[in-house]
Amino acid sequence: MKLEDMVIALRSKNAGPCQLTLDLIFADAERMRAVAAALPRLRAEIARAFGIAESEVRDFVFEPALAIKFTIPRPRISGEVGDRDVYGAQQHGVLLGVEI
Amino acid sequence: MSHALRLVEAFAAGKRRPIRILGASGQLGYGIPAEPLRRGIECGPDMIGCDMGSTDIGPNYLGAGKMAVSREGAKRDLSRVLLAARGADIPLVIGSAGSAGAAPHLGQTLEIVREIAREEGLSFRLASIDADIPRDRVRRSLAEGGITPMEGMTPLDAADIDGAAHIVAQMGMEAFRRAFETGAEVIVAGRACDTAIFATLPVMLGFDPGLAIHMAKIVECASLCCVPGGRDSILATLDDDGFELESMEHVRRATPSSVAAHALYEQADPNMIHEPAGSVDLGGVRYAALDDRRTRVSGARFRPTDRPRVKLEGASLVGFRSVLVAAAADRRFIAARDEIVEGLDRLVEQLVCDDGAPRDYRLFFRFYGIDGVTPAPEGAPLPREVGVIGECIAASPARAAEVIRTAKQYLLHYGFAGRLSTAGNLAFPFTPPELDAGAAYRFSIYHLMDAEDQADLFPVTVEKL
Repeated sequence: MKLEDMVIALRSKNAGPCQLTLDLIFADAERMRAVAAALPRLRAEIARAFGIAESEVRDFVFEPALAIKFTIPRPRISGEVGDRDVYGAQQHGVLLGVEI
Repeated sequence: MSHALRLVEAFAAGKRRPIRILGASGQLGYGIPAEPLRRGIECGPDMIGCDMGSTDIGPNYLGAGKMAVSREGAKRDLSRVLLAARGADIPLVIGSAGSAGAAPHLGQTLEIVREIAREEGLSFRLASIDADIPRDRVRRSLAEGGITPMEGMTPLDAADIDGAAHIVAQMGMEAFRRAFETGAEVIVAGRACDTAIFATLPVMLGFDPGLAIHMAKIVECASLCCVPGGRDSILATLDDDGFELESMEHVRRATPSSVAAHALYEQADPNMIHEPAGSVDLGGVRYAALDDRRTRVSGARFRPTDRPRVKLEGASLVGFRSVLVAAAADRRFIAARDEIVEGLDRLVEQLVCDDGAPRDYRLFFRFYGIDGVTPAPEGAPLPREVGVIGECIAASPARAAEVIRTAKQYLLHYGFAGRLSTAGNLAFPFTPPELDAGAAYRFSIYHLMDAEDQADLFPVTVEKL
């Protein structure tokens, strides 16, 4: 199943000007756990897509919100010359099609 | 006596009760729905708070000293909350005035507040809190080893301090406490922790700082923590064991999962909130539904810090920006774009720089539809049309304009291998397609500074309107 068909929200945003955070929110714990079981693969996917080391991808399983979060360094600080997404709100697309 | 000081007196006399905080806006200046605000006032809040700023909007506003919102928008929203707060005789607290909270932003916001007071015949005690940090103070701290870069920043150097157009620090509860203690009825603060706007009064009254800061972190975004999320006012009722949340717009429901999900929003770590006074651990937080529109939250734990620090923010000028807005719908041009841009780059340099003179500008292009937002995956098919944005950064607006106009003309007529469209490579959506985008800034300071005594960093000024 594709990740985009498993979540009720999949979004990205700045967490301060130097970090980007990706949130996956699920409708039920079962789906959240299924995706949590694939965390290493998702971390690798994110690292590859953003050109960073896997060790730079922090992940959190946040049960109260049935959510999984990834936080990574931004490729460029928000608003720097050459930045492509000042708010970081369109960087989540890489995860939409990942098969779980 | 102000309502805040009356509360302090009553609580000290043993008359403790739950406190009600109204979060009226998370982005003051973009509109405050009137009806939910009115309903919020009918619930008898003890305070109205509004956050007005953020770094999420990028470095330009801090650097240029300009508000992100229009003056009209800011005035309309400030009028609503000022009239509501003064009508109910409760404190109004505004943080990160004018979007970035430096002196020009605070000044513009105070000017609007005074104008409204004059026009509406309002009379009140106004406290303003400066958040600008003198360069000397930052230099001294740097020399003493008191500056730590935030993750992703390089260590601070003297040039960053000299080059920043404005340097502010995010004030915490300590600064707001001093403002409340002056008897102020309206507090307008420069750059501030969004949590301090709402948490200070409860903490002054002896409520648990962990609960108060957690509550603050949620209500600073108004009804964003609800399903569906929105910008309508939200009411939090805080007691000694937790707090309850209710949106003042009936369609918005604060549910355990929607409120919990708010801990994720724009936060690197959903289990931690940082304040100059310490951190709040959200690891053990419980969310319980009171009914289908209200949620009760408890369990946040405050851990005071033994190393008080404030977060500095600074933005430096990098040059002036001119942009070209265009598009293309010729697949040959789209396929050859990399080679075209490379050739154009050399051509433009020859045209705008005298022989031997070094290149004094940056010029680059984004192709929307291909990789304007994210890198293109290998083997991705080319789109039928692309948006083309050219950008030049140079030391003066005139130089940036000269370069981008030259680039536009030669990109339009660039003769690439296999070209059939010999009348022009670009479609312009309007004329002129070159726009001057003004001064360009970058975040040059985003560092923590040791600050044992914060009273001298954030001076409070009181005036009677």
